[in-house]
Amino acid sequence: MSSRMFQSVIMQMKEASNRLIGVIDGEGNVIAASEPSGLGDRWEDAAHRLNSANEMVTVTGGKTFKALTNWSARFDYAVFVDGEDDLAKSLCIMACVALNGAKTNYEEKHDRATFVKNIITDNILPGDIYIHAKELHFVTDVPRAVFLIRQVDKVDVAAMDVLQNMFAEKQQDFVISVNETDIVLVRQVQPGSDGKELQSVAKAIEETLKSELFIKTVIGIGTVANHIRELADSYKEAQTAIEVGKVFDTEKSVINYENLGLGRLIYQLPTTLCEIFLSEVFKKNSIDSLDQETLYTINKFFENNLNVSETSRKLFVHRNTLVYRLEKIKKITGLDLREFDHAIIFKVALMVKKYLDSREGPVRLG
Amino acid sequence: MSSVTMKHIYKKYAGGVIAVTDFNLDVEDKEFIILVGPSGCGKSTTLRMIAGLEEISEGELYIDGKLCNDVPPKERDIAMVFQNYALYPHMTVYENMSFGLKLRKTPKDEIKRRVEEAAQILEIEHLLDRKPAALSGGQRQRVALGRAIVRNPKVFLLDEPLSNLDAKLRTQMRSELTKLHKRLDTTFIYVTHDQTEAMTMGSRIVVMKDGIMQQVSTPQDLYQNPVNLFVATFIGSPSMNKLEGSKLTEKDGHTYITFGNENENATVQLPDEIGRKPAVLEHIGKEVVLGIRPEHIHDEDIYLKNYPEYKFTATVDNVEPLGAQTNLFLLIGDQQATAVVDPTTTAKMGDRIEVTFEADRVHLFDPETEKCIDL
Repeated sequence: MSSRMFQSVIMQMKEASNRLIGVIDGEGNVIAASEPSGLGDRWEDAAHRLNSANEMVTVTGGKTFKALTNWSARFDYAVFVDGEDDLAKSLCIMACVALNGAKTNYEEKHDRATFVKNIITDNILPGDIYIHAKELHFVTDVPRAVFLIRQVDKVDVAAMDVLQNMFAEKQQDFVISVNETDIVLVRQVQPGSDGKELQSVAKAIEETLKSELFIKTVIGIGTVANHIRELADSYKEAQTAIEVGKVFDTEKSVINYENLGLGRLIYQLPTTLCEIFLSEVFKKNSIDSLDQETLYTINKFFENNLNVSETSRKLFVHRNTLVYRLEKIKKITGLDLREFDHAIIFKVALMVKKYLDSREGPVRLG
Repeated sequence: MSSVTMKHIYKKYAGGVIAVTDFNLDVEDKEFIILVGPSGCGKSTTLRMIAGLEEISEGELYIDGKLCNDVPPKERDIAMVFQNYALYPHMTVYENMSFGLKLRKTPKDEIKRRVEEAAQILEIEHLLDRKPAALSGGQRQRVALGRAIVRNPKVFLLDEPLSNLDAKLRTQMRSELTKLHKRLDTTFIYVTHDQTEAMTMGSRIVVMKDGIMQQVSTPQDLYQNPVNLFVATFIGSPSMNKLEGSKLTEKDGHTYITFGNENENATVQLPDEIGRKPAVLEHIGKEVVLGIRPEHIHDEDIYLKNYPEYKFTATVDNVEPLGAQTNLFLLIGDQQATAVVDPTTTAKMGDRIEVTFEADRVHLFDPETEKCIDL
């Protein structure tokens, strides 16, 4: 934030009052003042009082202070006015209103987070990215990961507070609210960071939000962007990860675009092609002729690597019962799930059906 | 009062995955109960259902006798502690502990009182002005616990909170958590995949596998009387030896068991209190799995003299001296077994040695259902 911007507002206010008015930063440094002699002073005690105070205005050391609004639990900037009387208090509140407005305007134009938000939402021309990056002294070619944090079932505005405080390094991490439910974290990562590290960051976010606010989230992770211009793609990948996860990995809460596997392929297929595939696989009978119990048996059989003994144990049925069920499935569908080729066709067909159901509600084919 | 009751709870996901099946449990007031099982067994899902973070597909959940299926998580009066706890890096310990209360607009004086009280319980009063970077792993863990304690919840839900710590710290924190439970005198529901944590901390343990509760009991009872092969091998370290393909026979009104393979085997008479149980008699002539705990196999002379009827010969495949005990890895025919013996043993790798076992402490399992047949 430019101290010149604060100084300009303060100088305008000087015309309305003879009192000393100024601004301190989070460390207690005086960065703007109506009397230039005070610039550069450091009031650590006042900064400490402001951080621990809950009151609207704080009075200490013969001065009245009020913090400017921000997302963090700690203040970034605060206005001060000389004196502890009611007039000082009123002036302080009025100066705060004026400076908050100026700050918002400034941030919209120059704030790095806004800049990043414009990039990920494709709200900036590619040529302008470089110009703005230069103006903001923004390093363009460091690896950054994009996490899309979506609140499900219930939304809590305090989620933004929690994330801003978890990732408080403002030069490297950007927490951006994109809509009612979605928050994006753009985080600078070490070169060569792998999916495991990103997963662990996502887990920490998920668990912190759960324990602090009792909110449930789904987190999509895009591929690491090595250049600032790739952030938009990474954001879209994070969105895709959540969408694909909603179809194929309903029990997962953290989904990495790089680990979508077959789901990613199927998700990109045209629905007509999927319908043709299902009709081709289930020539004899519809997949819908399989009841829930049979589908459960099939899923368990796949989970246990087509092992009849292991699956029957997990299903608490006799081996022969399972063999009978598999024969029945063969009769209905023409596919013998004990054979690898047939099993893989069936597995893909089940995924395709899930995808079609998610797109248009249950489909009946075959 | 802070009891938790779960009746016929199911968790079914949209994709057809059933994470929890027919879960029934009564957690008593002030109990320290552990849910243990391998990853993917549904223990964390169960915990999340108690917290209200996961919808219950079927069944009923009661907290303090009140049906809570549709009660929002914030109104359940619970606190959660996770493995991947994140402390706010730029805040002091005091601010970290008070942040959640600030978000809930708790009055400042009340925040101060609660944080100081929690800090005293956790013995971290001297750290309140420090930032997380200046704390050790154990101290950070205590701060994470502190964030939960300041809420004064009825029930603490802990999801593998020690998994990120190194082995030494984990051991230390285990005992600290046990003490903390006593000090707070409230209900703890603790999820872990580590059977040692389960055995050392819980007043009762729930063993889970594939979303199904296998057994609920005290640590000692689970160890001594496992209901199935999974519980028998999951609880205990080194785990229980299972000699597959063992065969039960009957002669002169006694039951005998033969284990090993065709070339090398041993036949011993089972004590009648095991061998003559009706369920065991039903398996005469059939194959069973013989389960023997490693500490019940001995090579010491005194045991060889006391249990001569259970003697058999085995090949020493490896020797692992651990100071207080020595682990012998034995080959009985082509089957492997571990024996925990006295460190003075002279057995060496490749030796053929005589060993015996405490036959009154063995277990027999049906190889098909894996259920224990001698209970």
